[in-house]
Amino acid sequence: MPRTADGKPDLNGIWQALTTANFDIQDHAAAPGVPAGQGIVEGNEIPYQPSARARKDDNFRDRATLDNEAKCFLLGVPRTMYAPFPFQIVQSPAYIAVFSEYAHTTRSIFMNSEHPSGPIEWFMGDSRGHWEGDTLVVDVRHFTDQTWFDRAGNFHSADLHVVERYTLTTPDHIQYEATIEDANVFTRPWKISFPLYRRKEKNARVLEYECYAYDHEERARRGELGPR
Amino acid sequence: MATARRGFLSALAAVLLSSALLDAQEGGARPAQVAGCPSKSSEFIVCAKAKAAAFTPPRNPDGTPNMNGAWNPATANGSQNIEDYKGDAFLNPQVSLIVDPPDGRVPYLPQYANTRQDNWDHYIDPIGVCWLAGVPRQVYAPRGIAIVQAPNVFAFVGEFAHEYRVIPTDNSPHIGDSIRLYMGDSRGHWQGDTLVVDTTNLTDLTWLSISGHFHSDALHVTERFTLVNADTILYETTLVDPKAYARPWTMAMPLVRFEKGHEVWEEPCIEADHDLPELVREHKIWQGLMPAR
Repeated sequence: MPRTADGKPDLNGIWQALTTANFDIQDHAAAPGVPAGQGIVEGNEIPYQPSARARKDDNFRDRATLDNEAKCFLLGVPRTMYAPFPFQIVQSPAYIAVFSEYAHTTRSIFMNSEHPSGPIEWFMGDSRGHWEGDTLVVDVRHFTDQTWFDRAGNFHSADLHVVERYTLTTPDHIQYEATIEDANVFTRPWKISFPLYRRKEKNARVLEYECYAYDHEERARRGELGPR
Repeated sequence: MATARRGFLSALAAVLLSSALLDAQEGGARPAQVAGCPSKSSEFIVCAKAKAAAFTPPRNPDGTPNMNGAWNPATANGSQNIEDYKGDAFLNPQVSLIVDPPDGRVPYLPQYANTRQDNWDHYIDPIGVCWLAGVPRQVYAPRGIAIVQAPNVFAFVGEFAHEYRVIPTDNSPHIGDSIRLYMGDSRGHWQGDTLVVDTTNLTDLTWLSISGHFHSDALHVTERFTLVNADTILYETTLVDPKAYARPWTMAMPLVRFEKGHEVWEEPCIEADHDLPELVREHKIWQGLMPAR
């Protein structure tokens, strides 16, 4: 196993998930523009409370306007980790940064430290990491209620609590698992898991996908923005 | 730490409406001295280079100087201006960050002599609508940066609008010229204990200051990061752009380590409550230098 100078598994590099979970984290048949896919939810069951299940159905109906991805807003955690964009991990002993190509998403994982006292509402939450043997465990709290898990409208409240586990299984694969808790929405904790693959292209780098700026540029060119 | 924690909306209001002064919230009032040197850029660079030559920096396990941590561009005033400015109701006074040419002015080509003023009068600062700050502005944008280093990688995290830049330091080549990025393509290498960063593939969609300083898509930026002492970096950046400038020019400034425990946190931008048509009611969206103005 590749290790850093301080003896931890070396997660540095550019990684990407190869699931269809950004469309729907559960098993789903193909639909126009949506490839079929097997879900990333253990047991495929998301344990919604009854009222929450109705909200999920409403979200699905209105997904073209309500989903953060449609607005080019930050996608939150864990969705950023399986969105169809590469991300780069830069690992130092005290601080691990995660940089996604999607809308310059940044995650800061502060090691061996406490969450600040809340309430704080952050799109990406507040990430605090520690090593359990060779697994990086990241505790994430202080979310907004505005991010979803996928385009299918699976959602959470601001009380979301995510515990992620990153385990290097080969030099080029990380097994990613996350336990998801939210007493406002779910009846019990549930888990997702999938592998992350190292981008092996010789010239691989994370580029830019600045979707809202492209939208601004296009609207400005059409004269839809600016003084009359 | 609390002063650095203003939400984006306060900065947005200042940038867009130009009605609030940014002063202290960008990390405190401008210091007169940094690392025992005068903070004025033209004097700081000379003094800081002498101190750096006599300083043995702390090192990472791979032998590179250890610059990990959170850093405050303490004399940059949140990128309001980069030239000498007396201050007015909208922008704070500024001491020029430009050390070459000696007059401290951006050496624009003659046809662009009035463009900065025109930008200020008629266009919105691109970071005011959450576009990426670009290079080199990311380094001296509001609220400071964190540096994180790994073998063959040097990266910045900016608090302002969660902007980042990852710089390979492995002698790899730039990406193809047709791929243009707001933050460009940065490649670094170590010259002794100085990190030298070369950035190309830029657009003309970013500015250098709230006051409207600009460049074209031919901009080529060289940056130099040198530890002066354990808590100060000398930052130098040279801009070459034959489509906008008559000659290369250089800024220099200190980056000062934030207090122990300072964390660079998430600051949403476009995600904040943001009524774009209202914001651009009086000012136009900047579409770059090249289109007919």
